[in-house]
Amino acid sequence: MITIFKDKKDIPSDKEYIELNDVFFNQNTVAKLDERANTIIEKIDNSKLLSKYKICSRFNDVILDIDRLSVGCKTVLNVLYYPEKVFCLKECGNNALEEIYGLDKGSVYSDYSLIPFDMDKVLVQTKKGGREISDYEELKEWWCNEE
Amino acid sequence: MKSKPVIMDHFSTVHTSFIVNFTFINNITILTGDSGTGKTASFSFIKECMAVNPNILCLNYLDYQKDIKEIISQAGGKLIVVDNADILLDDDTRKYISLDDKNQYLIIGRNPKNLFATKENLFELVSKKVGEQTELSIKAYL
Repeated sequence: MITIFKDKKDIPSDKEYIELNDVFFNQNTVAKLDERANTIIEKIDNSKLLSKYKICSRFNDVILDIDRLSVGCKTVLNVLYYPEKVFCLKECGNNALEEIYGLDKGSVYSDYSLIPFDMDKVLVQTKKGGREISDYEELKEWWCNEE
Repeated sequence: MKSKPVIMDHFSTVHTSFIVNFTFINNITILTGDSGTGKTASFSFIKECMAVNPNILCLNYLDYQKDIKEIISQAGGKLIVVDNADILLDDDTRKYISLDDKNQYLIIGRNPKNLFATKENLFELVSKKVGEQTELSIKAYL
């Protein structure tokens, strides 16, 4: 289950917040990719991971550097490989959101609601503490209300 | 918000096997949709045109440290294309964009906040194979 923050002030000081998912992926996550990345890259970007640093483009079968993955796909991979950090959720399309919400662990931040149509349980975290939410409407309400 | 494009109704370019064919019906076009559909690829093809077309200004996450509102407010007569808009544009800049009648905007992102946008501003990317080439165009999102 992932953890969601809606206020940067609620992120514990020992957890690093990453806003630029593109840069973090290109400089860090790329080196950690293993077979778990294959499925995610195929599902979100409709591309194939050919080797550690190469993908096959969905459009014309051209071989591209892995830095050409979408920022949504990079965000999912960042959260997957660095569950101890908090990543900005704002650049994820619905397909990437569905993957992130399905991860076993990891943390994300957005100050406005970003919820996939098909969601499971998440942990929402504020300064007051955390609670589990498994309902779309309840999660939306939490995001929209001041605490 | 419906307002006629002030710079161009149509933008097209070719980049190797890609053809970009965008028709604009509003001054602010928000290009949204799923991840991995080719929005950032389109941005890179448009950005290439900055080298030969002085009416195009492209901004993305590489401009994260810059004062985006200052850059935009200095511009006039341009199609301003903003990728990574959801992390690049603060509320103040969004309000400025919504009232700017000197420039036209193509904003790649998902958050329409403070842009006074309606469904008429929201578009998604469509890709179509044309022989060995791929044509990228935009259509209404909703």
